[in-house]
Amino acid sequence: MEKALIAFAAALAIGLPAIATAWAQSRIGAAGAGTLAERPELTGIIIILVAIPETMVILGFVVAAMILLML
Amino acid sequence: MIIRMAKVEIVGPKQDLLTTLDLLHNRGIFQPDPQLLERVELADDDRLQALVLDEHDLRERSFFQDLYDRVAALLELLPETIDDISPLQPLPVMDLIDELVDQHLAKVRELSRILTDCRKEVDDLQRDLIFWQALEPLLADLPQDSNLELLGITIRDGQQLQALEELLQERTQGRCHISSATTTDGSLIGLIATDRQTAESLHQALNDERVPERSLPEELANLPLAQRITALHEHLKSKITSCHKLETQLLEISRRWRPTYHRALNWLEERLTLYRATATAYTTRLCFIIQGWMEHAEVLRLRADLNQAFAGRVVLEQQAILEEDLDQVPVMLRNPGYFAPFEIFSRLLPLPKYSSYDPTPLIGLFFPVFFGMILGDIGYGLILLAVAIFLAKRFPPQQLPSDIGKVLGAAALYTLLFGFLYGEFFGDLGETWLGLHPIWFDRSKDILPMTIFALTVGVVHIILGMTLGALSDLRRHQPRQALFKLAMLIAVLLLVFAVVGWFYPQSWLNTGPLLIGVGILMPVLIAAEGLLAPLELLKTMGNIISYVRIMAIGFCSVLLAVVANKLGGMTGDVMVGILVAGLLHAFNLLLGVFAPTVHSLRLHYVEFFSKFLDLGGRRFEPWQKRHP
Repeated sequence: MEKALIAFAAALAIGLPAIATAWAQSRIGAAGAGTLAERPELTGIIIILVAIPETMVILGFVVAAMILLML
Repeated sequence: MIIRMAKVEIVGPKQDLLTTLDLLHNRGIFQPDPQLLERVELADDDRLQALVLDEHDLRERSFFQDLYDRVAALLELLPETIDDISPLQPLPVMDLIDELVDQHLAKVRELSRILTDCRKEVDDLQRDLIFWQALEPLLADLPQDSNLELLGITIRDGQQLQALEELLQERTQGRCHISSATTTDGSLIGLIATDRQTAESLHQALNDERVPERSLPEELANLPLAQRITALHEHLKSKITSCHKLETQLLEISRRWRPTYHRALNWLEERLTLYRATATAYTTRLCFIIQGWMEHAEVLRLRADLNQAFAGRVVLEQQAILEEDLDQVPVMLRNPGYFAPFEIFSRLLPLPKYSSYDPTPLIGLFFPVFFGMILGDIGYGLILLAVAIFLAKRFPPQQLPSDIGKVLGAAALYTLLFGFLYGEFFGDLGETWLGLHPIWFDRSKDILPMTIFALTVGVVHIILGMTLGALSDLRRHQPRQALFKLAMLIAVLLLVFAVVGWFYPQSWLNTGPLLIGVGILMPVLIAAEGLLAPLELLKTMGNIISYVRIMAIGFCSVLLAVVANKLGGMTGDVMVGILVAGLLHAFNLLLGVFAPTVHSLRLHYVEFFSKFLDLGGRRFEPWQKRHP
């Protein structure tokens, strides 16, 4: 039971930030696509902006890994 | 690196202004900046005023502008030819050009007008021909009756044809016949045959229904039906010949005169630019003064050139760059060999200010290392190296693909290096086939050590950024800002050591005193930066934690490679296994190029550069000839 709870906690730790990242990237991606239609020279900056919310899921992944490894 | 600039002032007698501007224009190394004089001198010295051209110069400028407009209008009408610019010097023959351009413009305008009419007629005739050719079979079916009136119409679609048929039968009490055909260009056309008495009401009906009738030119309209198409062919042929003749005439004029006029236009454009540039100069009763910016290394050469050209009458003086000038100094970036291709990344950012740093060398140093840390695989590194060599050799230097190749080459070398350290060759294939073993970390298992390594890289990178930020503030004579950044740097280091002491207790690493140290520094931070300073400290710690992505993305990459190998092995067939593993490795390599690039850049742009880079510089745009 304890193992199942730990696994569930790890899944939550990465799953919730993944949903948040996906939502943020969808908003940034949509705005970025609109921007690129008018200013294609901003491609590089838009790619970076889309990558910014990935911090959440990466940190979620680290927390999940720590839950699994340390508990 | 940011090239050292010099603020210079050029002073000389008023009558030498245009010649001086011409010399500066030719050299293409000077950027005038009238705001410098406005800011420094005008307030104290009312003898200094913006330059107003004298009557002679004004008349000359007006003449050149008018001539420029006429020559441009002529060139617009003349067809393009090869060998477009004459080596002729236009100034001595400018009066002649002035006379000739009017004659040529009138002639070319007339020829162009006739040619436009002629082309329109050709278009109409071609359309008529298509129309009547499509109707030819229908005409053959009709009786050769001299009392017969024929009307050609264009029909929108089958539905309109049906409606029209019903309407016309009703209006003419069945005394007309309508037949239809499709032309070679796909449109639907109709031929209405009726007697001459009914024709009038038929015209009216078509007009009411807004159905366009096709009419022939008058000289063809009265011809017998059979001869119409032959006559149309001949008429079209003669019109095409006329068009060709007119085009040849225009081409002949263009071949003969376009190079000369093109040269004259370029010369006039440069000359008018000189007049416009006089707006950047200020004058006293006898002298002109121009202030601006140029590369420091070019100052002596330009001074010597001015001395030689004006026998000492025009003087160039270098002035001190004042603190209030710093934001105005234009910025020019130039990087030596290895670093130059990395400008493709720094160009994504706005220019740094003159007192800040060029981010290119820092990206050149750290980007390939981060990329290698994340991808770290000998197999992928070898493939990327091959692609990089192909791009760098296949495309000429300075072009984007060649630059990408060079950047990828550096990144691939670090990928190979870290691949050796991690003992990875297409994931665990190296260990299975070649007996490779991790020298440093086994990334697929050592998650915690790899996390600590990534965070350590983050601490070093962020501390370097904060140090550069403090130095930058010192260079800008902002000691308060520099002190804040230094205090923040110490606070971050204390916090980092406190965290290390918390997780890995050591006798010499006591968390309590370290946290007290942070507490002592806090009033200094708040005094220097306000109440948001503690938030800044937390943000910096967040920036450091962000470097954990080096481990996370690398971990995903190695696991995908291992999965590719395992899936390949599970197929039970060598060829299918190679295909499956190959496809998955190709996908992983694609991700392995994209993700490390984006995340390495993000670590630079968001975490690292925010600590020291002051963006918003003005680009150095020296005054240059557009036409050499």
